[in-house]
Amino acid sequence: MAENTDKMVIDGVELTGIWKEFLPSRILYEDVTTEFLDEVKKLPGGSTIVRCYQCGTCSGGCTLPDFVDKFNPRRFIDLVRRGHYDILVNENKDLVWKCVSCQRCTHRCPRGVNTQEVVRAIAKFLEDRKVFGKLTNDEAFDEIFMEEVIEDGRIDEVKIVKDFYSKTGRLKEMMSSDQIALGFKMLTSGRIKLFGGKIKDWKKVSQRLKEELQ
Amino acid sequence: MKTVLVIGGGVTGLKASSELAEMGYNVTLVEKEDYLGGQVAKHKYYKLAPDLRLAGEVIDPVIKAVENNSNIKVYKHSHVAAVSGNAPEFKAKIKNSKGESEENFGAIVVATGFEHFDPTVKQEYGYGRFKDVVTNAEVEEMLNPGGPTNGELKRPSDGETPKKIAIFQCVGSRDRQVGNPYCCRVGCVVSTKQAIEIKEKYPDSEVYVYYMDMRMFGRGWEELYGKAMEEYEIIFTRGRGAEVTLKNQQLSLRAEETIMDRPIQHSVDMIILAAGMAAGEGTIEAANVLGIKQNDYGFLEPKDDFVSPNESSKPGIFIAGADKGPMDIENCIVEGAAVAAKVASSLKN
Ligand SMILES: Cc1cc2nc3c(=O)[nH]c(=O)nc-3n(C[C@H](O)[C@H](O)[C@H](O)COP(=O)(O)OP(=O)(O)OC[C@H]3O[C@@H](n4cnc5c(N)ncnc54)[C@H](O)[C@@H]3O)c2cc1C
Ligand code: SF4
Ligand code: SF4
Ligand code: SF4
Repeated sequence: MAENTDKMVIDGVELTGIWKEFLPSRILYEDVTTEFLDEVKKLPGGSTIVRCYQCGTCSGGCTLPDFVDKFNPRRFIDLVRRGHYDILVNENKDLVWKCVSCQRCTHRCPRGVNTQEVVRAIAKFLEDRKVFGKLTNDEAFDEIFMEEVIEDGRIDEVKIVKDFYSKTGRLKEMMSSDQIALGFKMLTSGRIKLFGGKIKDWKKVSQRLKEELQ
Repeated sequence: MKTVLVIGGGVTGLKASSELAEMGYNVTLVEKEDYLGGQVAKHKYYKLAPDLRLAGEVIDPVIKAVENNSNIKVYKHSHVAAVSGNAPEFKAKIKNSKGESEENFGAIVVATGFEHFDPTVKQEYGYGRFKDVVTNAEVEEMLNPGGPTNGELKRPSDGETPKKIAIFQCVGSRDRQVGNPYCCRVGCVVSTKQAIEIKEKYPDSEVYVYYMDMRMFGRGWEELYGKAMEEYEIIFTRGRGAEVTLKNQQLSLRAEETIMDRPIQHSVDMIILAAGMAAGEGTIEAANVLGIKQNDYGFLEPKDDFVSPNESSKPGIFIAGADKGPMDIENCIVEGAAVAAKVASSLKN
C-alpha cells in the first residue's frame, strides 16, 4: 500500500497519478438496501411495484414531462427498488407528488403495475419520513380538510378557515379588517353558519377511519 | 404398417411427415389452407434470420420431400372434423369441399403452428388507424420480390419509400394487458434482420429500434445484432414504444430513453410493430377435436416439458413445433424430426 500512495517526484514533476484526486468520484457510495421497496410495497396502492420491469412505457407516455422537467415514474420506482434514498429525496421529492392521476401509465403498463398508485405510495413513503419540510398552502389545506372530515364527518366553513390560517401561521392576516368584513358579509347572506350541525354517532365512524388509515 | 395422421403442413408438419415416410410409414397430411409451408409461405418470408438465406432454400426442399414421396397423401384445404378411438387405433373424419372420408390411424401428430398477434388491440400504437403503422409480417411480404410491392418497402399511405423507420419490439408479447406474458422468441432477431435488409436496400434510410431487451440467444443471433450496429448503423434505444400519434400528417412516436432517464418524441415515416406469436384458431380447434391439454395461452401442453416434450396429454397423440409456443424454424425442423422418432418408437410396441 505504502508504495502506491508514496509520491514519486522527479525533477519537481509528480509521476504517480495522484491527479485522480482532483476529479470528483462518479461511484455511488450509497449503501444499497431493499428496505424501502419493502416499505412501499406495504403502503396502500404500493403492492404492484414488484412487477415493474423498467420498460419505460409509463414515463414515455406520461402527461407530465411536457410541463414538469425530470418527472419520471419509472425512475421513482427504480430508485426505491435499489434503495437510493438520497437521490430520491434530493432530486425527486418535489416531483413525485405532482402526478395528476391521469392513469395513462396504469392503462398501458404491460406488467400490470398500477403505476399511478405506486407513484402515490412513493410520495406517501416520503411524506411519512417528513422529507417535505414546510407545507405549501395547497398541502396544508388538503391536510386540514382531511382531518376535519375524519374528525367530524363534515366541513365547518368557519373552523376550516380558522385552522387553515393558523396552520400556515397567518392568524393575524385573518383578523385584518377586509377579511372580517368579508366574513360578516358571508354570514349575513347565509353562505356560512357560525355553528355547523354535528353528525350523529360520528365518533364510532371516525374511530374506524383512523384505525383504517393507520 | 400403420398410417400416421399429421395435422398442419407448416415446416414442422412437413418435416415430421417426410421423416415418417422415410422410415416406411404411410402418412396422411391434412392442411387447412390450399398451400403447404405454413406461416413462411403465407407471409412470403423472403430471407431468414440469422444468415439472410433465402427462405425458399430451406422450405422448398421440405415441401418437395413431401410432395415427391408416394407414402404421403396430402389433403389441402381440409380439416379433421372428428376423432374417435384410442392409441393405437384411431378413426378420424377428414372433411373438405369435395366431401368427407373416414380413415384409420395408429398415431396422430399435431403441428398446427401459431398466428401472428393482431396489434389492433394495442390502441396506443395506432395500427389500423394510421396506414403507415405496419406489422413485421407485412414487411416480410413487402421485402419479397414476389410479394405485393415487388420487393420494395413502401408506405401504404402514398406508396413512397420511407426514409426514417422505427421498429417497436415486443408488441403483444411480454404483455399482461393482452394476456400474453411470454416472450415471442423470434421478434428480436427478425427485427434485426429486417432492419439490415432495409439498410442494405436503402442505404440512405435510418432505422431506430425501440426495445426492452434484445434477446439474441439463437445460433448466430448475437453476431447479427453486432453487425446491425457496426456495419449498418441501426440505432437501438432501450425503452418500450409508448405511443404513436399523427402530427401534421406525420407519424410521431413517444418512448423513454431509459438510459438517459428522459422521454423522447420524434417523427418517422413508417413504424413496424414486431408482433409476436399467439396460439392460432387452428391449434385451438385441433385441441378441442382431439381433447388434448392446452396451457393458459392456448398453446399445446406436453405431457412433461423435460421428459416427454413431444407427447400430448393423451397417449398416441403427439405435438411438435410452434403450436407448443413460440419457436424459430431451425427448432421446428428439429421438433419435426424428433416427433417422427417418438411416433415410430411408440408404434413399434
Ligand atoms: C414475422 C416473423 C418472421 C419470422 N422469421 C423467421 C426467420 O427469419 N427465421 C426463423 O427461424 N424463424 C422465423 N419465424 C418463425 C417461423 O415463422 C416459425 O418458426 C414457423 O413458421 C413455425 O412452423 P410450424 O410448422 O410449427 O407452424 P406454422 O408455420 O404456423 O404452420 C402450421 C400449419 O398448420 C396449419 N393448420 C393450423 N391449424 C390447422 C388445423 N386445425 N387443421 C389443419 N391445418 C391446420 C396452418 O394452416 C399452417 O399451414 C418468423 C416468425 C414471424 C412472426
Ligand atoms: S410501464 Fe409498468 S413495467 Fe414499464 S416502467 Fe412503467 S411501471 Fe414499470
Ligand atoms: S397518472 Fe401520474 S405518473 Fe401516470 S401518466 Fe398520469 S401524470 Fe404520469
Ligand atoms: S423475442 Fe424480442 S421482441 Fe419478441 S417478446 Fe422477446 S424480447 Fe420481445
